[in-house]
Amino acid sequence: MTDATPLIQVEGLHKSFGDHEVLTGVDFTADGGSVTALLGPSGSGKTTILRSLNVLETPDAGVVRISDATIDFATPPDRRAVKALRSKSGMVFQSHHLFPHKTVLGNLVEGPVQVQKRPVDEATAEARVLLEQVGLAGREDSYPSQLSGGQQQRVGIARALALKPEVLLLDEPTSALDPELVGEVLAVIRDLAAESWTLVIVTHEVRFARDVADQVLFLDNGVVAERGGTEVLTDPQEDRTQRFLARMLDAG
Amino acid sequence: MGDGAGYAGRVPLTRRLLVLPALLVLVYAAVLGAPAAAQADDARVVRVGTEGVYPPFSYRDPDTNELTGFDIEVIKAIGEEAGWDLRFVEAPFDSLFPALDSKRIDVIANQVTITGERKARYLFSTPYTYSHGVIVTAKDTDDITSLADLKGRTTAQTASSNWAQVAKDAGAKVQYVQDFGPGVQLVEQGRVDAIVNDNIAVLDYLATSGNDQVKIAGDAGDEVLEQALAFRKSDPELQQEADAAIKALTDDGTLAKISDQYFGADVTVQGGSKDVDVKATDSRTTWQVVKDTAWPMFKGLVKGNIPLTIFSFVIGMVLAVAAALARLSSIRVLDWIARIYISIIRGTPMLVQLFIVFYGLPSIGLDLDPYPAAIAALSLNVGGYAAEVVRASILSVPRGQYEAATVIGMDYGQSMRRIILPQAARIAVPPLGNTLLSLIKDSALASLVLVPELFREAQVTAAATTEYLPLYTMAALYFWVVCYLVSLAQGPLERRLSRYAT
Repeated sequence: MTDATPLIQVEGLHKSFGDHEVLTGVDFTADGGSVTALLGPSGSGKTTILRSLNVLETPDAGVVRISDATIDFATPPDRRAVKALRSKSGMVFQSHHLFPHKTVLGNLVEGPVQVQKRPVDEATAEARVLLEQVGLAGREDSYPSQLSGGQQQRVGIARALALKPEVLLLDEPTSALDPELVGEVLAVIRDLAAESWTLVIVTHEVRFARDVADQVLFLDNGVVAERGGTEVLTDPQEDRTQRFLARMLDAG
Repeated sequence: MGDGAGYAGRVPLTRRLLVLPALLVLVYAAVLGAPAAAQADDARVVRVGTEGVYPPFSYRDPDTNELTGFDIEVIKAIGEEAGWDLRFVEAPFDSLFPALDSKRIDVIANQVTITGERKARYLFSTPYTYSHGVIVTAKDTDDITSLADLKGRTTAQTASSNWAQVAKDAGAKVQYVQDFGPGVQLVEQGRVDAIVNDNIAVLDYLATSGNDQVKIAGDAGDEVLEQALAFRKSDPELQQEADAAIKALTDDGTLAKISDQYFGADVTVQGGSKDVDVKATDSRTTWQVVKDTAWPMFKGLVKGNIPLTIFSFVIGMVLAVAAALARLSSIRVLDWIARIYISIIRGTPMLVQLFIVFYGLPSIGLDLDPYPAAIAALSLNVGGYAAEVVRASILSVPRGQYEAATVIGMDYGQSMRRIILPQAARIAVPPLGNTLLSLIKDSALASLVLVPELFREAQVTAAATTEYLPLYTMAALYFWVVCYLVSLAQGPLERRLSRYAT
């Protein structure tokens, strides 16, 4: 299930906000079809890494490659390169950011029709399949405000998938949800992992990460403190990883 | 609704924004442009500026609503003699000279008195009226009988009339009014002490209004004043043609006949004005006047205020969105241009903006007709005020919406058009509703740049009939009804734009 060359490759990523250096040289790769979980204390830079992969944040230095799109941030990237890199991934936000003025179906077909210029009929048919897949068949004509938080986030996932990206980026997809709604969203993500989607997910759900991740990156102070398989979560080598996990599992 | 095909098949917002003004222009051209294009012959077109609210010289016949009066009949006779094709343009007296300067009219026929100052700037025909001034006071004022008594007192005058100068020369303070009628009201109410005006105009007023609260207190000096047609200095041919015509009309008795018809005396010769006897220009009841004026006022609303409002609002909204986006732009120059534009519009009176566009810009070669000038000024005004509303609305759309649009691959234009502006619109509708209501009311100012509209019709009839209160109240009522209907439409629009927010 893994290819010879990794699908995602990140080298020497640096990013500062003002005086604060958030990323101080991050390197990692991820294979096609793998699930990469980014964990770490808040402020460790994990969300910034995710947002660098689709240039919602512009890194100060470093190279990001997804599939055949590469940007070296040594020089300010041109618009076409950014667009190319962005087209490789879809993103799921912590608080879904669905378009409130569009129906569920409208949210799903917006990107395929307006950006990818695909035929409306085709995009609509695919959107219906996706909604079925995330358990929302029949809610096509609802507005986001008429859905529960878990349903909204599942629409958010379906919207990202509608663009047929090579990679799906998920930024704490369950953090904003009421506890009883977390399960339905995690179930959908589990299904995606089982279908061999390439996922990069920032999460606090340690157990979930242990279940679905192929690769775990533990971030601390802007660097990858520990990297490996799920053993990072079951048998951490680094002190700070141990401390973090103890805290998270206590809380959970 | 909500079906994918129907959803994406809708016309994008910007295209709709562009189509609407284009359509409006076509409708407008069809409705308003047709009469002007209809008649075309070889005669020289001469545009005549006149007040239309100065009976018995220039006013609308209360029965037919046709422009008439002594000056009107005289210029018509002159036009016929000289072979001119006359087009009448009605405007307040203070707008007539600016209109002549900016080539919006070619001649003023409105009892323009020849003065030294005016002679330096304009060409005058042979006089066709000889008049003298009188002083009007309230009935029980007994300490004003001559110009000398005006020293230190207050008089009500139109700004650019020679009578204002006569009053000033006598040492009076001058309060400016738009025309004679409102001045009389001020005298009656005791807000000013007197008016200096032409004896014929005053006699006409007294006859028509039956007003016994004011009186002619005395002559304003013994100077005889001469009234003539005024032309631009650059139009000596028109002046010569007019003089030839006036001579012919004097010789064949036409002018004397017209004068006799209006005044029972020949004011076209020296000394004639002493024997003037004026009949009332109007004798209808108040109710009859109101009924007769309702239709012309409605036409003014439909042909003036409403199209002005619609065009100006649509164009103004385009300007507002552009200015708001410029304000939010990361390009500093755009931000500053928008800031300056908004600051100028919000920091200067609408009236001044209107006058700059219409009377000011022609002197730097930008010469707009009345309708386009009014639309330009109103649009710029609306755009400046609405820009900040639009900007605030755009800023109120959560940042996550930009990011969501960005990650599905939209560029700036697409995310604005399809994601941000539709959400901002919902927030902007209530305050923009206020802007629209202000605009409807501001459209009444357009009469000052020669656009016929509702309030102008009220003023015209009020001048001829002195029924100020009922007519102005009716004008207010018309505006209120329109504004009320607009505010009724606001509710459904807000609901439609908010249908997704439950």
